[in-house]
Amino acid sequence: MPLIRQLLHNKKALVGLTILTLIVLIAIFAPLLTEYSPVRRVGRPHQPPSWEHWLGTTRLGHDVFSRLIHGARVSLAVGFGAGLLITVIGTILGIIAGYKGGWIDEVINFFTNMVLVIPNLPLLLVLAAFIGQASPLVIAIILGLTSWAWGVRVTRSETLSIRQRDYVKSAEMLGEPSWRIMAFEIFPNLISIVGINFIGSVIFAVIAEATLEFLGLGDPNTVSWGIMLYNAQNASALSVGAWWDLLSPCLALALLGLSLALINFAIDEIANPRLRTGGMLNRWTRLVHAGEGKL
Amino acid sequence: MAFLLRRLAFYLAAFLAAATINFFLPRIMPGDPIQIMFASAGSELSLENLNALKLTFGFIDAPLHEQYFSYLKSVFTGDLGRSIKYFPLPVTELLGRALVWTLGLVGIATLLSFTLGTFMGVMAAWRRGTRFDSIVSLSAIFSSSVPAVVISLIVLFVFGYTLRWFPNGYAADPMLDPGFTWDYIRSVLYHGTLPLLTLVIALSGGFAVTMRNNMINLLGEDYIVMGRAKGLSDKNVMLWYAARNALLPTVSSLAIAIGTILSGSLIIEVVFNYPGLGNTLYQAILARDYPVIQGQLLIMTAAMLVSNFVVDLSYVLLDPRLKKA
Repeated sequence: MPLIRQLLHNKKALVGLTILTLIVLIAIFAPLLTEYSPVRRVGRPHQPPSWEHWLGTTRLGHDVFSRLIHGARVSLAVGFGAGLLITVIGTILGIIAGYKGGWIDEVINFFTNMVLVIPNLPLLLVLAAFIGQASPLVIAIILGLTSWAWGVRVTRSETLSIRQRDYVKSAEMLGEPSWRIMAFEIFPNLISIVGINFIGSVIFAVIAEATLEFLGLGDPNTVSWGIMLYNAQNASALSVGAWWDLLSPCLALALLGLSLALINFAIDEIANPRLRTGGMLNRWTRLVHAGEGKL
Repeated sequence: MAFLLRRLAFYLAAFLAAATINFFLPRIMPGDPIQIMFASAGSELSLENLNALKLTFGFIDAPLHEQYFSYLKSVFTGDLGRSIKYFPLPVTELLGRALVWTLGLVGIATLLSFTLGTFMGVMAAWRRGTRFDSIVSLSAIFSSSVPAVVISLIVLFVFGYTLRWFPNGYAADPMLDPGFTWDYIRSVLYHGTLPLLTLVIALSGGFAVTMRNNMINLLGEDYIVMGRAKGLSDKNVMLWYAARNALLPTVSSLAIAIGTILSGSLIIEVVFNYPGLGNTLYQAILARDYPVIQGQLLIMTAAMLVSNFVVDLSYVLLDPRLKKA
């Protein structure tokens, strides 16, 4: 896989992958990393960070560190689960619309554009409000079913240009069935776009889950970063000075989002060589514009 | 002209879709839809008031399609029902009051961050590979990946609680009478600073990187080389040859970003306790005040469609090819 080899040579991707791997490992081994249960009262309320409680305790006396590393599991699961669903729907519809053309394209394109102009968060809020207290699984499913439109648009426009290439034409001449052409001639050439779409969707899902839960639409018994924010906000953590209660999930969310976005930027740079900074490109521009001043 | 008419028809269809979602949601949930919609009212509503509400939302003794048209009729005549939490208050009035604050906040923030971001993007593309470019890329990575709720909580913690430079809530000092007095306006600006700052932090990076990438894709074009060959100054080529043409796709990305901006402002208002749509909606969610929650979807969709149309108009102005077609 040349894409993966190139990713390992990209500084942004390397930083992003390292942070992401670390978060994944912490989430997997969460029960081994702390002696405290994330759902039991293990100390006095709102204790500041100390040797016993690394990130302090919540108003209910839960250990913040334990909740944080257990909560990582939910954020990752919802992020990657919903991200996968969004990408699968978006890629399939996008390739079909772009390759088949005609009325199929028009129908898919019409619905895609419509979903794009209905604001996403308000729609999610209405859906979640009617569901009541949405569990992480339910949140992942409604995210997956409402947020695929962007992927369709990008995949479709790329498929439109690939459809004209010689190897697609020759496969058509050979009489290959269209599902085979879409799966084996077109899809492999969309890998970088699908990758960007997938990671972008994971970021979106992580953010959306935390936001819905922060707004009180999640299940308050879940241990997740969004519910931690919700509980801390309800406990007026900032005004009583318990910053650790609120800032811990904040920083965790920021770190996870940043690591994913770094990976995405790296894929974008590799797929679009013109956007690349540093390295070869610099040397090239310097050669081209030697003596010309700045560019 | 045909282009604009086609867009208008499409927006009408999109609005209809949002209304259709509202209509079917309570009906596909398990349980009695009327019970679901107005459960939070308890026994406080008189039978007469309840019947009026039922009529607004199409709960009539008739087949489904007649219920649907009855609901659409209320929506298109501007009747979104009444808030259950603040009972006799119509949803349109409750949300309309809040919308003024949100539009002010979002409008100013979009203008500021679009200008700032576009300028940063032009500079970054021109000085590609320098430290300035990396800073712009990093700020874009930051704003595309850190949730608005996180940015606003951190801004609130730093400037509101730790440094105590700005107030932690409300749109203005509640002790002052609203009006066009210098004291009141100053108070509004003072209270709006933190939400505005948060939105600008959250948005500028995205605009910057779109503009940067558009510019870079154009820099290889022949007319740029031509401009340089004519001996035009760097500044002229950058502004009048590259940036002018790169602005077009950036404006269309603005249309898509409007949804993100509105969503971002919803969250920010909740964190800063700012009396806009977001906060009103938050109160409605906590009280399960469904007419208000449904009404916000329609109002937000309408706001999104109107701003998309404004972008379409500006697109026609910026791209002469569309005017002829």
